[in-house]
Formats: sequence, structure tokens, C-alpha cells
Amino acid sequence: MEDPEGKKILVIQTHGVETPTRTYSPLYYAIAAAAMEMEVMVWFTMNGTNQLKKGEAEKVQLDKTSDVTLKTMLKMAMENDVKLRVCQQSLELWQMKKEDLIEGVEILGATSIIDLSLNSDHVMYF
Amino acid sequence: MAHEKINGCVVVKDLYYAVEDNTWVKVNDDGTVTLGMTDIAQNLAGPILHARAKSAGTERKKGKPIATVESGKWVGPVKSPLSGQITEVNEKLASDAQLINRSPYKDGWVVKMKPEILDEEIKALVTGDAAVEAYKAKIAKDNIKACAQIEGADTYE
Repeated sequence: MEDPEGKKILVIQTHGVETPTRTYSPLYYAIAAAAMEMEVMVWFTMNGTNQLKKGEAEKVQLDKTSDVTLKTMLKMAMENDVKLRVCQQSLELWQMKKEDLIEGVEILGATSIIDLSLNSDHVMYF
Repeated sequence: MAHEKINGCVVVKDLYYAVEDNTWVKVNDDGTVTLGMTDIAQNLAGPILHARAKSAGTERKKGKPIATVESGKWVGPVKSPLSGQITEVNEKLASDAQLINRSPYKDGWVVKMKPEILDEEIKALVTGDAAVEAYKAKIAKDNIKACAQIEGADTYE
């Protein structure tokens, strides 16, 4: 099997807090890839953007048997050096401003996502 | 294997520990070392579903992953506490990753390694009573829940 270390993965997340079951796996995969020493970025766009609004992710309980929330996963991703980026245009869709975002998320424009896609070894869409 | 239990979590005294990364090192007579996850690590991870170790022959620097471990709610690297070359992988983990849960210090070892600069790097690890004290502090600081009984722990003394 090919060694994944150093490869670049871009995860595109288009699902948000209204569909909790679609929020967990993309972050889990991102964290797994980071644990395998890959360079990982999650790009939040469309509805995916709303999970980055302060105070929202902690309301999404992912597993009824534990206290793991979507916030736990976002935090774990950042702790594992997964870069979290959000689409500028999507922020406007949700009437969100920079100060509404949880800490550690950077805003990028649409052209950046094209560059990032071309420069990744693999892109995963959700 | 003299050991101590802290909140139910076993710390074997003759192993060396990278406390923050929750890994242990056993120095073998043939110059290799055996590496694994601690009881506390497997307790935090919960039932382990998959453990994917790096292949034999892989060179590792200290801090780089020797394996990736996933449970239902956690996925993360097992960071190497030493630099060196992996010489052997615990093949049993491929079909039964929960060996790490049941027997973290014995059958659930992860890899064996030929260390590069053992004398130097081992100084950063803790062993014996110092390891017990370090884990007491960590368990209190991180508010780690009690460990369940692991296989064979009673035979450690």
C-alpha cells in the first residue's frame, strides 16, 4: 500500500447543523488523514458554513451514548493540525461575519478553492 | 511485572513512558524496543476497531506515528517515543485490534523497533515510581475516567 504521509487531502463539507449525521464523518476522515501524517484541509461551503458559527456546533450531539458534539470534532480536528477554511461567499449566504466564526477558522475566496483542489492529491466531497 | 493501579489504570513499573503521548517502551535484550499504547490510552480511545501500523523497515523520527488507531469515537496517531527503524509489526492487531484494549502491555504491543539513539532519547521518558507519579498527575489534571480491568493485570505482580 502506498505510504500516505505528506499527501494532501482536501475535504469539502457542504452539510450543516440541520443534518447532524452528515457532519460527523467528514471530520472523522479528516482527523484520520491527519493522524496518518497527511496535510488536511476542510473547506466549509454552502450549508457546511453554519456549523462554524459560534455557539452552534456544541448544540449538535453526535452520539447519544457520549458527550461528543460537533464542537468536539471541530476542536479535535484543529488539535490534529487539520486546517479549517470557510468560503467567503457562503458566509454572506448565512449573514455571518468574521467575528461570528469560531476561533481558528480562516476565510478564503472562491478562487482559492480552485487552486487548492488542483494542488491536492485527493479531494473528498460531502 | 511490578505495577501500580491509578484509578484502575495500570502503570507497569519496568516500562518507560512518554506520558503526554500515552505510549510505552520496553527495552529488549537484543537491542530492540517494543512499543505500545498505555492502559490509559486504550481507556480513552474506547473499543478499538482498527489499528494500522507502519510497515517493517519504516524509519521513524521521535514523535512521528508508528500506527493509526481508530475507535467508534476517536481516531489518532500512536506517536513514536523514539527514533529508529520499525523491525516488526504486531500482525495480530490487523484482525483483532481490541487486543490493545484487553492487553495493552503484553499481547497488544504495536511495533518493535531498532532504536537509533536510545541512550539519548530514553532520558526524556519516565519509568518506575516517576512514571506512577507522572500518571497520577495526568489522570488528575485531565480528569480521566476509571480504567476497566485489563486482561492478566493480576499476574503482573
